[in-house]
Amino acid sequence: MSTKDSNFSRVATRLGLNTDDVWPSVVRERLLAYGLLLLYVVVIWFPIYYIFITSLKTQSEVLTLPITFFPQEPTAQNYVDIFRNRPFEAYTINSLIVATTTTVICVTLGTMTGYTFSRHDFLGNKALLLSIVAARMIPPIALIVPFFQIMSSPPLIGGLTGNLTDTRVALILTYTFFNLPFAVWIMKNYFDGVPTSLDEQAKVDGCSTWEAFVKIILPVAKPGIAATAILAFIFSWNEFIFALVLTRSEASQTLPIAVSLFVADDFVDWSHLAAGGMIAALPGILFGLFFQRYIVSGLTQGAVKE
Amino acid sequence: METTEKSLRRTLDRLFVPLTVGPTLIWIAAIIVYPTLKLLWSSLFWENPLTRESEFVGLRNFKRLLLDPSGTLGMLNPSFIAFTKNTIIYVGCSVTFSFLLGLGIAILLNKDLKGRGWFRTAVIVPWILPYVMSGLMWRWMFEAKNGAINGLLVQTGLLSEKIAFLSDGTLAMMALIIADIWVFTPFIVIILLAGLQNVPEQLYDAAEVDGASRWSRFRNVTYPFLKPSILVALTIRIIFDIRALDLVWVMTKGGPGKSTEVWASWLYRTSMEFQRTGEGAALGVIMLAVTFAIVAILYSVFGGTPYDS
Repeated sequence: MSTKDSNFSRVATRLGLNTDDVWPSVVRERLLAYGLLLLYVVVIWFPIYYIFITSLKTQSEVLTLPITFFPQEPTAQNYVDIFRNRPFEAYTINSLIVATTTTVICVTLGTMTGYTFSRHDFLGNKALLLSIVAARMIPPIALIVPFFQIMSSPPLIGGLTGNLTDTRVALILTYTFFNLPFAVWIMKNYFDGVPTSLDEQAKVDGCSTWEAFVKIILPVAKPGIAATAILAFIFSWNEFIFALVLTRSEASQTLPIAVSLFVADDFVDWSHLAAGGMIAALPGILFGLFFQRYIVSGLTQGAVKE
Repeated sequence: METTEKSLRRTLDRLFVPLTVGPTLIWIAAIIVYPTLKLLWSSLFWENPLTRESEFVGLRNFKRLLLDPSGTLGMLNPSFIAFTKNTIIYVGCSVTFSFLLGLGIAILLNKDLKGRGWFRTAVIVPWILPYVMSGLMWRWMFEAKNGAINGLLVQTGLLSEKIAFLSDGTLAMMALIIADIWVFTPFIVIILLAGLQNVPEQLYDAAEVDGASRWSRFRNVTYPFLKPSILVALTIRIIFDIRALDLVWVMTKGGPGKSTEVWASWLYRTSMEFQRTGEGAALGVIMLAVTFAIVAILYSVFGGTPYDS
């Protein structure tokens, strides 16, 4: 039995209660906790289940009454359709390229900068860190006008031709705006928890500052890097508003846009939308199932630790 | 050879701070500072959507947003009042309910139960899905004819006829709030669970020995330790909800009528649909100011930075 249980019986004995009298209440409390959690999980998973079964229904079954909660003739046709009739391959590739590139940029810059903020006192480091925190607070939507203007105007730097609207570059640049400050912050907090004696020992052993960072500190920081990478990937994969403003065609449209395209003004193609939605949701579900620990640690590093 | 290598190493070491911080600062300047300055700048101009010519108008964009268009002195713009009210209802209700629900779930998950990790995984998923997909999923759930909610209520006999949830202003707002709670409760759970795990176990035992009631245990033992997490959870939830457009846009587009139009959708509509970029930028400036004000107020009310004590 866990320590909590033995604590409980100790406390119970001290209170002069018979342990046998206390146990049923403990059991009852646990059953209640299980029951409530189970109920919550069933309720919150029901919508996901409903969109999943919709993706397996034929188009006519989707519109049949009464509503069925188990698909009568499950079919993968909707998934085939969206790749055949719509450029879902292009959307998926766009999403992968945009999310991966953003993640690489943010993790690389965020790790280096986070480490230096954690270890080095340099001129203006407090002010700079504070401005990075402030940057996290800027509502992204407030900046859609300037981003749209910047991306649709001819580039300031010569050499590039045309503007950046409807390119993946525009999305990558934009997504680093909300992910980079977050990455710096998570990594700074992560490095704060890594003992400085490691750096010092490396120096004593003759490592340069760079060697100490790359060979000694980075390997230790892997869980923090994983957390940052997963969150940056999810945030960029899921982003919708900037993609809505900055993309026009399959040259740069990502999966969230692709899903929204199933909605016409007065008609929604629910069965195909559901299939597209499941594809867009896949990384989230997989990350949630297999890397939940990193998501939790990243969020708490990034949010709670101030 | 040896000496050049050594001096190169020394130079590189001396450049460690600028080389690790410099690229990030340049990137942030280009991608955050420049757009923010451009936002402030744009808010002072009126731009012709066709010719893209712009004209300096000073604070007239702000005036148009905030003040009564009929020019009655000192009266606020009725749209501004209505959309602000919608924003407050939307943010207020969803933050309150997701906070209470999240606190409950966090307390349950903090118990020493078998399969806790499994539950935590199951609880987290709604937050990680694309908001657009979640929004459309809820729109499908609330659909008048074939939606699951009507299906469940009518087919089990709880309701005699189907309700067109998203065609009624009040019900549409409720639907939005429910979707928002669904999406963001996991965030509250994660943050509060982290806070709960900081409460020393012995304190609970001591409180139990003292015969403290459940409520007084929460009030006197849990709450003081949880306060920093509560502050962070509320701050992030509130500022995130004011700015978040995804759910509103795909579920109701601010309708029916203007009954679910919130600041974020108003901003989008003004700048992208009506192409009044100056006014959109002005609204962006207002949102920026309100966000910083809310953060400042929350931190000054709750006092200190978390984990100071």
